[in-house]
Parts: sequence; C-alpha cells; structure tokens
Amino acid sequence: MISRRNFLRTTAAFGAAGLALPRGAFALDNAGRFKGVTLNVSTFSAAYPALLQKWLPEFEALTGARVTYDTPSFPIYNQRTDLELSTGGSAYDVVNVTFIYSSRWINSGWLTPLDEFVADPNHTPADFDLADFLPGAVAPETGIDGRLYGIPWTAEALLTGASRFDLVEQAGLSFPETTDDLVTVLQAVNGKERVAGFVADNHYGWTFVPYLQAFGGNVFRGPPDDLLPTLDTPEAVAAADYYARLVRDFGPDGAVTYTPDQVTNALKLGRVNFTDIGQIYLAQIGDPATSKTIDTLKFGLLPKGPAGRFPGAAVHGLGIPAGSKNKEAAWAFIQWALSKETTRRAVEAGYGSPSRRSDIESAAFRSKQVINGSDLAQLSLDSIDIAAKTGHMKYRTVSVYPQVDQQINKAIELIVTGQLPAREAMAQAQATSIAELKRAGVDI
Amino acid sequence: MAAATSDWRAERRRALLAGLLPAVVVLAVITLVPAVGLVVASLTPLSLLDPAKTFHFANPLGNYIELMGDRRFIGSVGTQVKLSAASVALQVGLGLGLALLLNGSSKVLAAIRSIFLVPMVLPPIVVALIWKIVYSPDISPMHRALEALGVPVRSLIANPDTALWAIAVADTWQWFPFTMLMVLAALQSMPVEPLEAASIDGANRWQLFRFIIFPYIRPVLVVCALFRLIDSFKAFPLIYVLTNGGPGTVTEVTNYYGFVEAFNFSYWGYGSAIATLILAGVFALSWLIARLGLNSHDGR
Repeated sequence: MISRRNFLRTTAAFGAAGLALPRGAFALDNAGRFKGVTLNVSTFSAAYPALLQKWLPEFEALTGARVTYDTPSFPIYNQRTDLELSTGGSAYDVVNVTFIYSSRWINSGWLTPLDEFVADPNHTPADFDLADFLPGAVAPETGIDGRLYGIPWTAEALLTGASRFDLVEQAGLSFPETTDDLVTVLQAVNGKERVAGFVADNHYGWTFVPYLQAFGGNVFRGPPDDLLPTLDTPEAVAAADYYARLVRDFGPDGAVTYTPDQVTNALKLGRVNFTDIGQIYLAQIGDPATSKTIDTLKFGLLPKGPAGRFPGAAVHGLGIPAGSKNKEAAWAFIQWALSKETTRRAVEAGYGSPSRRSDIESAAFRSKQVINGSDLAQLSLDSIDIAAKTGHMKYRTVSVYPQVDQQINKAIELIVTGQLPAREAMAQAQATSIAELKRAGVDI
Repeated sequence: MAAATSDWRAERRRALLAGLLPAVVVLAVITLVPAVGLVVASLTPLSLLDPAKTFHFANPLGNYIELMGDRRFIGSVGTQVKLSAASVALQVGLGLGLALLLNGSSKVLAAIRSIFLVPMVLPPIVVALIWKIVYSPDISPMHRALEALGVPVRSLIANPDTALWAIAVADTWQWFPFTMLMVLAALQSMPVEPLEAASIDGANRWQLFRFIIFPYIRPVLVVCALFRLIDSFKAFPLIYVLTNGGPGTVTEVTNYYGFVEAFNFSYWGYGSAIATLILAGVFALSWLIARLGLNSHDGR
C-alpha cells in the first residue's frame, strides 16, 4: 500500500520535473510499488515503442521500477524473442507479441495468460476498459484456450500509397481500384520524371498475399484447421506472375532488395511512385519534416482482384513471457503503456495506428490522419473491417506460417529475377512448404 | 639411482598434468561440451515447438538421411564451395600482390599498410552496412560514379548472376589485409643473401619471385588460405544484410541455411545436423591440406 505522503511526494517530483502525470487509477495503485525491480522490456523499433521510451521516466517515477528497454529492428527482434521464449527464459518481462508469431508463442504456452490480471481490481483499475480495444485486434492475442495473452498496441492495415499521384492525374487516370487498373496506371507513369512505378517491401509473404487472395488463391486450403498449402493452384500462379511483373517491370533497380525503410524513403524522396505497405509507414510519407512528396501523395485501399479485395491487417500487442520473474510489475507496465491516458497522449503526439476505439474515433486522431486529402484512418478502419468480415487473415496466425512465409518470399524473388517462371517457382514453393510443414509435425 | 630418476620423471609428469589440467578443463567446457551437445542434438528431431521430442533417439540418423534428399541443402553446399573458392582465391591473390608492392621500409609504405588494415578491424556488421550502401543503386557512390562515366551498372545484389560474386568481393575487401599482413611478415623476415646472389647471377624480377620468394612464403600462403577457407564457412553478416540468401537461394550458403532452419523455423535437430556436417567438412579439408604437405618448405 502507498501512503498518502509517498503519493504526494511522487506527485510533487513530477510537478517539479514539469511532466504530465497520468491522473487515472494507475498512478494511485502503483506508486512506489515496484521499487528495486528491474523490468526488461523488448519490442521492435516502431513509432509507439519510441513514444513509450520517451515517457519511461514517468513510469519509473510512479512505480519505483527501473526499466531496461530494448527495441531492435523487426526481424532481429522476432528471432531473438522467438529463441528466448522457446527456452522459457526469464531475460524479458514484457515482450511484443508479434502478429506472425502470435499463435506459435501463445499456443505453445510461452506467454502468461492475462485474464486474471485484467479481472482483478487490485491489479487493474476499471478505467483500463479492455472492451475499448477493437475486437479484431484482441482476437489474435487470444489463445485456442480462449484466454488473453496480449494487449494490442497497434492494429495496422496494408494500404496502397502513391507518392507522385500528380503524374497519374497528368496521364488522365484515377487512383487504381482494381489490379487491372493498377497495371494501366503503372504503364502510364512508370519512368516519368525518373520516378519508378512500383516497389514493395521484399517480405512478400506479407505484401504479396493480398494479391494472391484477390486472384482467388490462398496460402492454405482452410486455415487454421486445414493447413495444406495451396501455392501451386492456377490462381496462385496467376497472382505470382502478376505481382512479380509489378516488381520487375515497374520497380526501381534492385527492387527485390528493398526493405520497408527503403520503400518508405524511396516514396518520401519521390524516387518511386506506388507501393503496398503498412499504414504506419505510409503515415511517415506524410511527415512534412522529412517528405518531399507530401503535396503529391495519395493513399487508397489495396486493389480489388477477380475474387475481391483482401487487404492485409496485422496486430501487435504487449505480453508477458511465461518465464518472467516480475509478472506483476510487467502487468503494471503493460497497463501503463496501454492505459487510456497513455494511448490518448500518443495519438495527440501523432501516433498513427491505435488499437482503442476511443482513440480511433477521437477528433485528435482523425484530424491528423487526413494527409493531402487522404483519410488514412478511415482507409485503415475499412481494411480492418474487411479483414474481420472475411477472416482472410487467418492464414497468418497459424504457428507454422513463418515456414511458408519464407517459401513465398523466395518464390517471388525467383520469378522477379527470371530464375524460374511463375508456375515452376510456385510449384517449388508448394513442395518445400509441404516438406517444412511435415517436418514441423503438421498432419497434411 | 634408476629408481630415483623414475620417481623424478613420474613427479614431473604429474606436475605437468596438474598444470595443464585447468586449461584442459576450460577448453573442454567451452569447446568440446557444446560440440558434443551439437552432435547429440543432431541425432534427435529436436524442435522448440515440440519439447517432447527433445531427447527422442528413435531415428538417430533421420536428420542426416533427410539432408541427403534436401535439394536446398545440397544447393547451399554448391553455393558454399563457389563462395569459399572465389573469396579465398581473391583474398590470397590480392593480399600477396599488395604485400609484394608494399614490402619496404619507407614511411609512406608503412602508412599505406596501416590504411589497408582498417577493413579487417571493422566489426563485420559495419562492413556489411558499408557494402549495403555501395550495392544499393539509389544511394551508392559506386553506381552514381559509373553512371556519370556512361557505364551504368544494374544492382549487383539483385541480379542472380552477380549476387554471389558481389558478396565475395565484399568479403575480400574485409579480409585481404589478413593475407597481406602475414605475407609482409614473412617477406620482412626473409634473408636478403639468396636474392642478392640470384640478382648477381642475372635473375629477373619474375625469376626472383618464382624461384626464391614464392617457395619461401608458400607455407605462409597455405596457412592463410586454410584460415580464410575455414572462416569462409562462417560467412554470415554479409549475406544476412546484403541478400538474405537471395535472390531466391543463390547466395544461401550452408551456414546460412542452417541458421534459417534452426532460428527461423526452430528445427534445432535439423539445424544441428547441418552444423555437424559443416564441422566435419572443415576438419576433412584441414586434414587434407595438412596431408598434402604444402604448408612446409619441403612440401611438393
């Protein structure tokens, strides 16, 4: 229990430092409670974790805990955490529950169920309001046992962005609605003013799949129960051929080596026109401080294909490893990091993909998400709604998806670089995916 | 008298053993135990997703049998051979050439020698980032310079025909100083009398190199090549940063494939089998080179 004197002392310290103290129950319940605890927090480098890092001294002053905060790049983070969690280690107390690994980490028992913390008023004040998080964002954080293992901090959608939409308008065309439109537009603008037509993050297991589904294909026959890969169907081959053509015929030199940061910079500098990339990266292209294309950019939903529109959506959350020795303090951190006060403050600071409905619907958020006439928030909400209705993202949260993901990456590279035609590359991806899944013990 | 000598020898042996024991124990703990663990793991289907299989020895050769039919593994061995051969040949050739050019006592040569050593002391990830810049056409000074000269070059790491050689060049840039340093040390310890005598007899520069210098430094070159060959099996940061094993699998060496299987897919048993085969390959190569006797002045 915290004495009134200690609470006043903590508050006074904050006032002296000129920091904004969260006024919710969090501050009252946790003041000085974890003095002497060192909390190891790891997540990948992104906008929200960067904001949290800035505000960490407040959490430390409130709770007495000392936080070691680690934010490596996305692939490094995933590899490191996958290994750490798999060994049941106690190196981390709070981790990011990465979307692509969520089923694997949750259903292997590598994370701590949070339901008891959430339900216990001694641990969680009522104003934490779990119901305020988008149901579509909470679902991937839930295990097959129905228990909650993570609290989402981002619900991100894959969207289409054009950095030089003025070139499209000059050609008398509009924003591409369909996959055919996209090719028509790219043929018209590719190379104009030395701007390449299209580039995508070379993580094709993420950027290509919406096109695969738009052509009527899918990664598995019936995820999450039927995991027979379906990468060699006529629809999948047609989609791979189409997508590889976008990258090969309209891409900049070295397009298959582009990482998300390179894609973002290429669009910011106006070296490449179109891309399909996550909303948080697109928001950076609208950053007036660093973008040269802010007056010519336009965003839209991913194009429809013959089978419809299937925008990618991803959710990341904060969870507690099963091996953590500081679970109460870890929950206090998550509660602070995703309290209404903190997420609202993040939105006010410009954070672009919140997971609380109250934030998404707030005027502060909506006003910041309209960039050069494109409402990024609405596009994102529309995409997440489509994903929630169709359930087409189920392929991505199965525990063996990383194995298949890599075969898709390789297949698209092989086609783009002319090493194999689409049919052979996808047949090879199918065969190697089946071999990998069998090795993982999946019953196919 | 004889008994006293025998006691003294036994005492000496015990003292030597006692002195060596701590080092032997440390060596065993840090090298042999992990190596044995690796081999043991390779005999199991150990997967971090399925802890029940951790010590499952029902089919101890299962991973190895599967590897023999794994086309990606076999392809990775071919890639490894090409990368190792190219990078070792380039490093030894360039290191030898520069050592011969820089073998002198002037201050200028000493300064140039120091500059050439810089790549070798850089952390491998920094080297990889330097070459990522060099090989990224939109930001690369090399690509811009070539374009300005009217000979534009397409991305070398996105082209399946050049990606592996691009990595070999980057690896050579980092490690040719090792050979250069070793050869320079050998050259500077070389007696001058045979060279003077041969010069007086009318030998030209090539003949001096072919019949006197090269035989003298050959053991050093062999050791350099062996060191670099073993190290080339550990190629990782350049591939990870520059190509991620691609495009497709053209730059995926065996070591990198083992990393993917173990750390991306959590198949530790399978990954351990790959690592064990690499270990066996390195031992076999080292043994073969030692048997050829090229690393001595008497070798033929």
